[in-house]
Amino acid sequence: MTRRTGDEPFAAAFNDSVHVGLDKILGHSGTEAVLVHMKMADGLPDPVEFHIKLLALFGPAGTLSLEKAIVKHLGTVRSFEVMDVDGVLDFGATMNSVQRA
Amino acid sequence: MTTTTEIEANPSGRTNRQTIGARAELSELAEARIPTLLGLKQLMNGPIRTLLVKGLAGTGKTTVALEILKAAGKGNGAYISSRVPQELLETHIPAMKETLQGQDFLDVRLEDATSALEFVMGLTEPKKVKTIVFDSWDALAKEFDSKERLRAEKTLIAVSNNSGAQLVFVSEEPGATTIDYLVDGILEVSTVEEQDRSVREFTIHKLRGTKIPQRKYLFTLLDGRFTFFEPYTTPSYSEIRKFTAMPDIGEAYSLGSPALDRLLGGMVPGSTLTVEYDEDVPYFALRAIELPPIINFLAMGRSAILLPLPGANTGLTSSVLTRAIGEGAPSERLHILDVLRSSDLKTTSMTKHATPDEIHEVVTNETTRLRKKSVDQAMLHVNSIAALENLFASDLDSLLEVTSQEIITLQQSRDAHILFLPTNSPIRSRILSMSSSHARLSVRDGAVVMFGVKPFTGVYALQHLEDPILPSLTQLV
Repeated sequence: MTRRTGDEPFAAAFNDSVHVGLDKILGHSGTEAVLVHMKMADGLPDPVEFHIKLLALFGPAGTLSLEKAIVKHLGTVRSFEVMDVDGVLDFGATMNSVQRA
Repeated sequence: MTTTTEIEANPSGRTNRQTIGARAELSELAEARIPTLLGLKQLMNGPIRTLLVKGLAGTGKTTVALEILKAAGKGNGAYISSRVPQELLETHIPAMKETLQGQDFLDVRLEDATSALEFVMGLTEPKKVKTIVFDSWDALAKEFDSKERLRAEKTLIAVSNNSGAQLVFVSEEPGATTIDYLVDGILEVSTVEEQDRSVREFTIHKLRGTKIPQRKYLFTLLDGRFTFFEPYTTPSYSEIRKFTAMPDIGEAYSLGSPALDRLLGGMVPGSTLTVEYDEDVPYFALRAIELPPIINFLAMGRSAILLPLPGANTGLTSSVLTRAIGEGAPSERLHILDVLRSSDLKTTSMTKHATPDEIHEVVTNETTRLRKKSVDQAMLHVNSIAALENLFASDLDSLLEVTSQEIITLQQSRDAHILFLPTNSPIRSRILSMSSSHARLSVRDGAVVMFGVKPFTGVYALQHLEDPILPSLTQLV
């Protein structure tokens, strides 16, 4: 399902977090529709590209809410302390640092 | 719907065939739609991004949604149908064929909710689509449990808001559902009873950021188009046009208005038409029924006697008549007898405490005098029962006796008789039992509605769309 690259554990965790995070806000059908629409139903691209596509569909406010949900879930499965995501969230940078940790 | 009635020449040979109906009716309807479209445009140009149109099956939701699409979509709209294919919808509502063909049409009858959501994303992301109608969302939403449904609805609204598109949900669920709390506006269409007849009504339940001066309006789907009726507005008599006589309709006298003739079929000589009205019917609306037959009788060379409604301004009535048909006919062949005004009683040598018999005698004498001046001896009598009741409150039996006598006398003549009867009249049932025809006026949601009880007709909204002295009647279907 996931377009796994070099870091398989991160890719799997990212994939799960995207599904869980989006599901929490958009519901199962909403998540499925978003991923199909963004042509990511068969696997997720890198977080930056994902962020750009999400932004086009939901705008800055909607994207922030969705990404916060994804990051929160990823924090629990990768056992890292979630940064303050109440304000501005740099999704790409956050994912990079999670991947390197 | 629109019909053309051919009127045969009457026996006096004064008229030739004349066409009434079609043109006037089309014009009336065309003008009636203008405020409708403006209203919807204002609605969708305001802070309303998401709208729910709800109501039971057959109440007109789809037509309303299509009118919104037409008004707000400006060719950049999309219609998502989960119920009927485009060809069938165009057959059901032919008037909306052009609107449907000018927008994207997505048939999602065999799609699941996920695919439908994806369709909406496909429409909104390029930010080209201005208005999307989802008819109906329920059909797909029923696949979800309440939590999942709420999330799907939030998704739809979020992607639409981001693209700037307006989203119109059509729903057959009358009760409040999750989407009621999410949308900016809720319109409900329904069918309500008006004197054993069904009329359509829409209710504005919510319009965020918009003042709602009135929550309920009557509307019609005549010709497959949504037309709503704002509260009755009084006509401007400064725009009175020169009246053109309307010839007899076969054996019947014309009521002086194409709309009234279509509704009631004119007046057969010797008949009594009773116009019953609720207490909240504006006087100007009653005048639109009262004056055209008088004007037409005078224009046809006949005579008339008017006992006006209480509170009528006789000076204004005379001025209206003069502007419609000139000074000659009203001064020669019309007698306005305001029985509630002592000055009028003085001119007829009656005391302030005249009895029904004395009034009747004055009317009889005036009838004899004016009949001689009528081109064919025919007379029109227009009487306000309320005015007579006010005068003879303590002697209603005598009033009834005199009125019955008058009706019987008129039946044997070629005269016509119009009685204006308040609904709360204590002699209502007895007057109605003596009437050959019976029309009724009432007010609903601020609009004046009229219908025939005898003969039975549908309900019509009364407005003044062209000539201020003539009524325009639009059928409520």
